[in-house]
Amino acid sequence: MQLLFTGFGIGAIYALVALGFVLLIRAAAVVNFGQGEFAMLGAYLMVIGFNVLALPYWLSIILSVLLMAAFGVVFAATTYWPLRHRGGLPVIISTIGASIFLENLVLVLYGPEAAQIDGLFDAPGIQVGPVFMDSQYLSIIVVAALLVALQYAVFEKTLLGKKLQATSQDKEMASLLGIPVATMILITFAYSSALGGIAGILVAPILFVSTGMAGLIALKAFAANIIGGYGSIPGAILGGLSLGIVETLGAAYISVPYKDAFAFLMLLIFLLVRPQGLFGERIAEKA
Amino acid sequence: MPITRRGALLTAAASLTVASLAVTRRARAAETIRIGVVSPLTGPAAQVGAIQLNSCRLAAEEINAAGGVLGKPVELVVEDDQTTNPGVVLAFSRLAADPSMVGFIGSIRSTQVNAMAPDVAKVGKPMMFGGTDPTLTHSGYRWLFRCRPNDSFSGRVIADFGVNTLGKKSWAVVHSTDAFGTGGKNAVTDALTKLGATIALEQGYANQQADFTPVVLAIKQSGAEAMCSYFTFEPDLAVFARQLRQLGVRIPWVGSQSIASPVTMGLAKNALYGTYGVADFLTDANPEAIAFTAAYRQQHKENPDSGWTYDALHILARAINAAGTTEPEKIRTAILAIKGYKGAEGTYNFDENGDGLHGYDVEQNTNGKSVFMKRIEFPA
Repeated sequence: MQLLFTGFGIGAIYALVALGFVLLIRAAAVVNFGQGEFAMLGAYLMVIGFNVLALPYWLSIILSVLLMAAFGVVFAATTYWPLRHRGGLPVIISTIGASIFLENLVLVLYGPEAAQIDGLFDAPGIQVGPVFMDSQYLSIIVVAALLVALQYAVFEKTLLGKKLQATSQDKEMASLLGIPVATMILITFAYSSALGGIAGILVAPILFVSTGMAGLIALKAFAANIIGGYGSIPGAILGGLSLGIVETLGAAYISVPYKDAFAFLMLLIFLLVRPQGLFGERIAEKA
Repeated sequence: MPITRRGALLTAAASLTVASLAVTRRARAAETIRIGVVSPLTGPAAQVGAIQLNSCRLAAEEINAAGGVLGKPVELVVEDDQTTNPGVVLAFSRLAADPSMVGFIGSIRSTQVNAMAPDVAKVGKPMMFGGTDPTLTHSGYRWLFRCRPNDSFSGRVIADFGVNTLGKKSWAVVHSTDAFGTGGKNAVTDALTKLGATIALEQGYANQQADFTPVVLAIKQSGAEAMCSYFTFEPDLAVFARQLRQLGVRIPWVGSQSIASPVTMGLAKNALYGTYGVADFLTDANPEAIAFTAAYRQQHKENPDSGWTYDALHILARAINAAGTTEPEKIRTAILAIKGYKGAEGTYNFDENGDGLHGYDVEQNTNGKSVFMKRIEFPA
């Protein structure tokens, strides 16, 4: 039971980061390998706001998320925009470059020491029968659920959401219909960056803040993405959750040192047996 | 090219300048005892490097105030090693090119010492270093002298303290699966078995984990009375410590050096209260460490995290004075003859391999402060 709970909590983190991946894949057909660094930057902004400038906790969160959204636009303008007509690969490489740049920039500006952020709640967690529920894991699960609900509401129920969807489905058609495609893509980058920032702020109390904190998480979130179905929103969520649970159980019952291997083994199995993922039906259409 | 009067004059002037430079250089070289220092001034270890350099300068001031070496003041010549192996090799070659260098202070990183070792052997002058890989002094390098205890002692100290002082017989060993963690695990399980303890669990983990629940549950199920650990990265240790406490594991815990590092203690806070750790330097371990810490604090308003460069320069100065000459072979003999020298890192008894220290301090985390408990020494 304990393992299921932590697996679920870790899975929710993967799902949150995977969500950021999916949005960009859908809106701009970009696989953004800087997604993990978004989380890292969000966490560092939080460190600066809360620990260094001593702002109130909630204000630091709001400021960090807003700054991350603004940063998403800058990221899009520098990393994606100049290369947008060159196809997928140059943009992917450009995001990898940006992620290495960001990691080292923070290293130079902040230094290599890890920092610590307080959790949302003072209480370490609650004991339910034999299971200890860490309050931060609970917050992650709740926030992830809220964000998914919010995202669903925006995408399905608002005009903005419909425009974003139209852009992601067919850019040319969308622009013919008078939808400002460029603005829509910028909004997606801003949202995806803010989402990454939120993920970073949420995991920081558990993993602490360091420049390399998000590397492995981003990689696993990407795997979650493929397991769930490339470009599928419910797929990203289920993929993330199942990945978290599988690796935690695998570590407990088979081998701890090979924990990371279970995640990628699951990815390989899916690529071989069900390459379209849990929810994927769009692969054929894309190919 | 025809020789013009102008050209000849210029040449003459130039050669005069060169000659006078050479004279001043020789004169200066004769006035001071020059010690080359490679130190990370830039790169990830820059913060540690600054403390090392400050400690070394403090030692130089003390030596000079006490009359210097062979009646001359010590002069430190510092080169930046950039925290990389190519950087350290380059820095050392710059220093070594100067024939007036008498000796060197090397690096705290074993990989860097390894990178420099062949060049140090070629130059044939003593280098004091701080890397803790045991093989560095066991590979036939005659000119390397270690001013910290090597890793082979940490496992023995953990086992000795755990079995003889804490009286625990059944152990869980948690370790990183990298070279450092595996080496440490082998050393400590070996030492524990020799002392008659049983190993209830050997649990490896891969570096940079988000979650240690499976490890913690394995410890719980093993029924071990106590646990020891070799963690490489501080955030891993802090994540593990917190989950350990959350899941209610409270058995005594003796950790390798990283458990007592200020970074880990800052991250893990009360999850590490009451744990034990081995440390090569503690500010309150002995009178010399206390005096060194006080002098350092007076200059820099913070505590030093290591005293090995401070000890290294004192030992080198002492050896040169004992040798009565700057001749390398005689200095080497004098270093190896040092027995019972009390430094900030402990009492130095150099063995024939060039290892000066043979034990560790054990500390306990007392409400977030590292408090010295006992020193465990092994015969040289």
